[in-house]
Amino acid sequence: MNPKLEARTMDDLQFRRRIYADPNTREEDMLAAMNEDPAKQKFTQELEDLDSRLFKAMNVDIPDDLSDKLILRQTLASHQQQKRKSRVRLALAASVAFAMGLTFNFMQVSSAYSNLGDYAIAHVNHEKDYFSNSAPANVSLSALNTKMAAFNGTFTSDVGKLLFADYCRFDGMKSLHLVFQGETSTVTVFVVPRNEELEYSANFSNDELIGNSQQFKNSNIIVVGDKNEPLQKWQRTIGENVRWSI
Amino acid sequence: MSAQVSYNMATKQVRYEALVKALHGDLFRYAYWLCHDKHVAEDLVQETFLRAWRALDSLKDEKAAKSWLITILRRENARRFERKRFDMSEYDEAVITDNHSASNEQEIENQWLREKIAKMPEEYREPLVLQVIGGFSGEEIAKLLDLNKNTVMTRLFRARNQLKEALDDEPKVRGQNNG
Repeated sequence: MNPKLEARTMDDLQFRRRIYADPNTREEDMLAAMNEDPAKQKFTQELEDLDSRLFKAMNVDIPDDLSDKLILRQTLASHQQQKRKSRVRLALAASVAFAMGLTFNFMQVSSAYSNLGDYAIAHVNHEKDYFSNSAPANVSLSALNTKMAAFNGTFTSDVGKLLFADYCRFDGMKSLHLVFQGETSTVTVFVVPRNEELEYSANFSNDELIGNSQQFKNSNIIVVGDKNEPLQKWQRTIGENVRWSI
Repeated sequence: MSAQVSYNMATKQVRYEALVKALHGDLFRYAYWLCHDKHVAEDLVQETFLRAWRALDSLKDEKAAKSWLITILRRENARRFERKRFDMSEYDEAVITDNHSASNEQEIENQWLREKIAKMPEEYREPLVLQVIGGFSGEEIAKLLDLNKNTVMTRLFRARNQLKEALDDEPKVRGQNNG
């Protein structure tokens, strides 16, 4: 629409309404209307004057230090936030460490093997190169019994030529690992605390090794040896010579 | 990475301080005309800028900063009413505290006008304050107040019409002003 045309047709009321709504309007049709009519110009000036008075009245004083306060408060708030964040981070780190600890413990005690026999055979296979049947017997009965004390047990007499006796980890459990001289090869005896994790297996074997277990009150004694070894005899001898204190 | 973080923090801080310096005056005056109390207005502005700090990353266009802050402040003010809904003694719209001594004619007129502005219906006063103090256009006010532009222009017309009539009817004020 041609602004001039509209200006000519713009009535006074419409003009006044628009000036009231926005005295600073610079819309073309309004400017044109003002140019053509001094009364409209004067009215516009009145409203501009009103606005400058309104501005003075509305322009209340700002508290002097408001902007400083706003910056200070934000600084404090974000400092608090940082502190909270680092507390959260610390807590997270602690939780992760705790979870790792739990997992580690769990892995220690949880079994990759589901029964005593499998584990005993794996353990013996793992260590078979360290022991030789021809090695001299070098562990005395009293030295053995010192170690057996940890399981509240004693041997009343030698059950064989003892090549090696030390604590070891038997699937995560502290146990006593004994290696005796056998007829053709070493015979391994484990004294293991009784544990729910590993299913008890009285007799077990693979291609080369056989083993059997005896249950006592708090411990199992497991004997593993070559298929040629008379394990029944070993088992009987051990059973007859071991004593458990309460 | 932590250097990047602290660089971002430093940039954010600079932006924030620039916003505070440029806009705290307009925000305070707008808040004052919403709540008619300098202390409440100051609290509102404080809350507004704190929220603005937290959300500063969402402000993409600095030119939109003022209307963004006004929107936050209006929301804060609405919350204040939620909290104080049952506190009937909270405020009296007609009471305007004046910290100025009426030392001259200009101050007398300002005070007189402030009372008139305070007595105006909220729906007329708010767009008027946004236009006169905030310098917003009709479209911008419509957007801020979630109204259509015609409604805003009508309210602005009524607001000024009321105030002009009041001034025209008050020869004492006019007399002092003119003379």
